[in-house]
Amino acid sequence: MDDLQFRRQAYGDPNNQSDEFLTHLAEHEDDAKFIKDLKAFDHKLMQALNISVPDDLADKLILRQQLSQHQQSKKHTRYMMAVAASVAFIVGVSFSLLRFTPVNLSENSLAHVHHETKALIMEQDIGFNDVNFKLASVDGLSDSKFIKQPGRVFFTSYCDFQGVKSLHLVMADENGNKVTLFIVPIEKRIVLEEAFADNQYKGQSFQTADAYMVLVGEPASNLEFVKKEVENTFI
Amino acid sequence: MFDSLRKKKSEPAVLSEMLTKQRRYDSLVRALHTDIFRYAFWLCGDKHVAEDITQETFLRAWRSLDSLNDDKAAKAWLITILRRENARRFERKQFNYSDVEQDLLEDVLSTSHEEDTEQYWLRRQIGKLDIEYREPLLLQLIGGFSGDEIAAILELNRNTVMTRLFRARNQLKDALEAPEVRGQSNG
Repeated sequence: MDDLQFRRQAYGDPNNQSDEFLTHLAEHEDDAKFIKDLKAFDHKLMQALNISVPDDLADKLILRQQLSQHQQSKKHTRYMMAVAASVAFIVGVSFSLLRFTPVNLSENSLAHVHHETKALIMEQDIGFNDVNFKLASVDGLSDSKFIKQPGRVFFTSYCDFQGVKSLHLVMADENGNKVTLFIVPIEKRIVLEEAFADNQYKGQSFQTADAYMVLVGEPASNLEFVKKEVENTFI
Repeated sequence: MFDSLRKKKSEPAVLSEMLTKQRRYDSLVRALHTDIFRYAFWLCGDKHVAEDITQETFLRAWRSLDSLNDDKAAKAWLITILRRENARRFERKQFNYSDVEQDLLEDVLSTSHEEDTEQYWLRRQIGKLDIEYREPLLLQLIGGFSGDEIAAILELNRNTVMTRLFRARNQLKDALEAPEVRGQSNG
């Protein structure tokens, strides 16, 4: 190792532990002394570099991290709260909108009949006691009932007129034409039309003491007949 | 409502994971904050700025602590973050280099006036050293890194690092042995 190379290595790292470097030191006494001086110089440098560190720095670092952690989780909770509030708000608004929009009974009845085509295929024979049983659980109709069988009842189920629970029956006129009857509890926002029709069905409605009755049938059916039947059996 | 639902999933597991991470961070801070602060100081030359950079460094380290796989590499990892933070400081506002030097001189003066004048003088010389020579020296002396490790951190090749270390020591030694410079700075 020539002198220049040695100096470069020594200045680069006085604590060089490579064999070549150590051998050179063992062989050259002057250079060994030079390295000793360099190490002493390094020691001075180290001391100069070791400036005092604020005592509470470690605590500050941990505090800062925990604060940011806390803020993050708080932000998260706030976010979740905001989401929950928005959902509640939407639910509230849509619920009240549903409740206060007027319900056009005839349109809804026709839509129901069109929608529930399977109701008109059913060939059950339901006793009026079963129908009464269902009526009892409809709000506002719990006191109403059939006092006797209103002809054959082919099908019965609950249905919903924009939030108003009602009863859906399928009956027949004297010729066996199926007629759908909706029994809807009386409510302010319901709009009643006495007679209505679309290109497939006709309908009429009337009011009893506690309920609106809506009859829907094919143009050939005798709605008057069913209406009489209902008027005679339903109180 | 959602919180309770979310927490039900695996609270104990999450909690213990959090605790481990916290403990890891605590020991990282205790073991390395001195070196990191000193490194930051010699990088920027101002104690308050150094403290800010150290704070930012450790906060960033906390956020990405999961990416630190090997705890032995923690120091080099932190120094890499610190150097990036320091560079970001210059992106944020344009510092005047000569101002920074001035800050350094002032600050060292105020903190070390009771100390040995030679050490005070040496500190000024280190502060005056070009950053490209100063940084490898800091990494070697404060960080205790080998030439190869310094080369990796600074993204230089090893020969360049050794040359810069050589020049750094050479300049400091020259300055120490040149009395007229010394007289100037003391006067």
